[in-house]
Amino acid sequence: MFKSFTFSSSPLKSKSLKNKTYNRKKVVTVFFICFMAFLVLSGRLVYLMVFRSDYYSEQARQLHERERSIKAARGRIIDANGTVIADNRTVCTISVIYNQVTDREEVISILCDELSLTEEFVRKRVEKYSAIERIRSNVDKETGDRIRDYNLDGVKVDEDYKRYYPYGELASKVLGFTGGDNQGIIGLEVIYEEYLKGKEGTILTVTDAKGVELDAEGEDRIDPVSGNDLFISMDMNIQSYATQLAAQVMETKQAESVSILVMNPQNGEILALVDVPEFDLNDPFALPADVDADTMPQKEVQDMLNNIWRNSCINDTYEPGSAFKIFTAAAGLEAGVVSVHDGFSCPGYVMVEDRRIRCHKTIGHGHQDFTQAVMNSCNPVFVTVGLRLGVDNFYNYYQQFGILDKTGIDLPGEAGTIMHKKENMKAVELATAAFGQSFQITPVQMAATASAVVNGGNRVTPHFAVRSVSRSGEAAQSFSFPVSENILSAETSETMRMILEQVVENGTGRNGYVEGQRIGGKTATSETLPRGRGRYIASYIGFAPADDPQVLALAIVNHPQGVYYGGQVAAPVIRQLFENILPYLEKIDYNVK
Amino acid sequence: MARKKEETFFDYTLLFITLFLLAFGLIMIYSVSSYEASLQYGDAAYFLRSQVFATIIGLAAMIFVANVPYHFWERFAVLGFIVSIVLILLIIPFGVERGGAKRWLYIGNTSLQPAEVAKLAMILFLASMICKMGKGIRSGKGFLTVLAVPVPICLMVWQITENMSSAIIILGIAVLMLFVSSPEYKRFILLGLGGVAVAVTAVFVIVNVADSDAVGFRGGRILAWLDPEAYASSTGFQTLQGLYAIGSGGILGKGLGQSMQKLGFLPEAQNDMIFSIICEELGLFGALATIMMFLLLIWRFMIIANNSADLFGALLVVGVMSHIAIQVILNIAVVTNTIPNTGISLPFISSGGSSVMFLLIEIGLVLSVAKGIRLKNL
Repeated sequence: MFKSFTFSSSPLKSKSLKNKTYNRKKVVTVFFICFMAFLVLSGRLVYLMVFRSDYYSEQARQLHERERSIKAARGRIIDANGTVIADNRTVCTISVIYNQVTDREEVISILCDELSLTEEFVRKRVEKYSAIERIRSNVDKETGDRIRDYNLDGVKVDEDYKRYYPYGELASKVLGFTGGDNQGIIGLEVIYEEYLKGKEGTILTVTDAKGVELDAEGEDRIDPVSGNDLFISMDMNIQSYATQLAAQVMETKQAESVSILVMNPQNGEILALVDVPEFDLNDPFALPADVDADTMPQKEVQDMLNNIWRNSCINDTYEPGSAFKIFTAAAGLEAGVVSVHDGFSCPGYVMVEDRRIRCHKTIGHGHQDFTQAVMNSCNPVFVTVGLRLGVDNFYNYYQQFGILDKTGIDLPGEAGTIMHKKENMKAVELATAAFGQSFQITPVQMAATASAVVNGGNRVTPHFAVRSVSRSGEAAQSFSFPVSENILSAETSETMRMILEQVVENGTGRNGYVEGQRIGGKTATSETLPRGRGRYIASYIGFAPADDPQVLALAIVNHPQGVYYGGQVAAPVIRQLFENILPYLEKIDYNVK
Repeated sequence: MARKKEETFFDYTLLFITLFLLAFGLIMIYSVSSYEASLQYGDAAYFLRSQVFATIIGLAAMIFVANVPYHFWERFAVLGFIVSIVLILLIIPFGVERGGAKRWLYIGNTSLQPAEVAKLAMILFLASMICKMGKGIRSGKGFLTVLAVPVPICLMVWQITENMSSAIIILGIAVLMLFVSSPEYKRFILLGLGGVAVAVTAVFVIVNVADSDAVGFRGGRILAWLDPEAYASSTGFQTLQGLYAIGSGGILGKGLGQSMQKLGFLPEAQNDMIFSIICEELGLFGALATIMMFLLLIWRFMIIANNSADLFGALLVVGVMSHIAIQVILNIAVVTNTIPNTGISLPFISSGGSSVMFLLIEIGLVLSVAKGIRLKNL
């Protein structure tokens, strides 16, 4: 068509110029230079795409894949009877994917009905343009299943686990609870985290640069491994009854708090540990009703929660008072500075250097032998025994009994003993320490010390964990806890059991007596620091049977109103406890006969 | 060859290689851009459509140019040279910025890169000038004169349009045309050695001041070239993403349309970096086949240049050949991190309207030269 046009080829000089041979050679040269360049680049490509292919493919894979974790079911906690006391509940998260929803109105109306949400709330989320919009989490499984059965396009129901405590408040400070990632926060949940937590699984999905998942690429799945179940020595029947008793005495005595610890003195297994007021494990962040959390600074809220979660048997110390005479008596007998039948005279006080230390019975106990002195809980006698032992001996027994160390209980945050330094311990300090004042220990330390004195002289570690078993039932692991044997001779231990039985039979511990049972025990009443404000701690430690102790219980009533003596406030609590649990522990069947 | 002189020759080989590359380019543009296009514009063929449009206009222009005797254009050599300078200067007041660089002029809805015009104008101007110089080209003075002509244009393209790669291409075209037209070798070897020495010195200096702030934009690119993974989040990002694409292609590739890197990971995937997606999807085979097509195209240019009726036609073809060869080599070299990163598109395949239009005009010019071949000479 262009041939019809006439373009004049102007007669320029260049037209006559020929394409010479050297020009042609040069063009060929240029071509070969290009050819060589292409050859080099091809070599480079072979290097990148054959030899470096694995490396770059791996780098690219890491870039494109996104890991989503699947929570592992946390191991359960199971009590001595096989009752599950910490479990998992399957909960669902309901979300909508905007691009996949076909019938928006239907989705809105069904989700409103099933989740009891307002239409406005649901509509806003369903109509929001986003990759995925969460409507509600922690929806129970039945509701989740129902929603799934509607088969709505673009509605996603994801299952998840949430820790659930069927007993609510029971043993709250022992079990502890878990946080948002199912990690233990306090109590056994935190100590046995590595056994309980299991291994998260992963879903690998391929995404584009903005993180949008690509369906066509499919997904890789690594299944999660459930955590191991933890079997503990706690008996929920005993725990439950002890909690009732504690709540009862707290109510009747208007006390600030009441702790009860029940353990097997032979092996250290704890059967119950109560510290009322407890809290609801299924709602651990709830504050008292009269507190307005919104106006309170975050730090104060946290402090308040920490106090609510505090286990005073382990995290706090107290002056053990007369209960500690168990130790002084055992040390005195063991060292031979006193014997059961040694006679003493109590004028109602004792002079230590220039200090006059009064007996709780101001008119004095008069003449008494050592057994009677323990039954009377006579301070001057114990001051005398303490002084006879001397600071060195006294301190050696502290060390031998392990009182200066922590007990090693399997709960977090155990407090240490607050004791005079040896070089600061003079006669007066020694005298007061001999009857349980001027130093502080934890309640669990007191129970462990008493256990060692009455069980034949073996210092056991108080503990809960018995064994951990995988979900499939294999791979059981038994826990063992250290025992220091013969910290006290068997004879002295036997003598102590006899004396402490007398305390309950005829002494200050009479209110701890249980009909038809041989009970040993020791009461204590201590005034809290600072003195003179009329604030007392009433406590009692009892064990049964007195000749072969299988169970040892400690009750501590903090700041009771009115009568505050350990023998009158705390001893009856343990009596009632023993009346019920001793037949239970012996598995007496009342229906026979 | 016993054919009559009047019989017209038409180089169908060149035409079909060109059409093949264009079709392949369109397929790749659709493959690379459809995902992003459907996300951004709700239309998977958004980029494809504008490229098809530019290609059709380009083909029409090619047919027109192919049917005009190429000597017709010689009279516009000086005018074209001046127009290209004016267009570059117009960038200063009217230039439009895209992707951080001010390189485009808008006439209505269509954009135009003055650098593309400058390349074509340079080919035409030098071919005409060298022919007029005749034997004067052999002297040192002639050599330096021809070498001096592209320098101001190159400086302007580099400084005004901030486009160093186009400046290098224009300079390269000029040097290669000069090389072909002069019987000399020694001067060119010296010139080449000088260029290499300058490049090596520059790299050496930059590496030694790597830690100071004085490195700047281009220096940063050189450091990223030497160790892209150390600059993975900054200057080395695009290079590294390109290498991921190339490496993950392997020998046979992931298959057409299966690239992962095009899903927003690799910046400029349908432009400068399209070759790395070809590698990812079609593997080493696809990549070598593409290189082979370009080699075939350049071979064809060589045949046409060496059979051209006169020196002017030969030089036009050499210019076009240089333009396309330099651009292909530099593009693949950049994509494979053989040289430092600089923005160069892959002829006929990269998305870009003005680039494909001017390339097709150049092909038209070569076809026109081919038509002038007297078959008895073959």
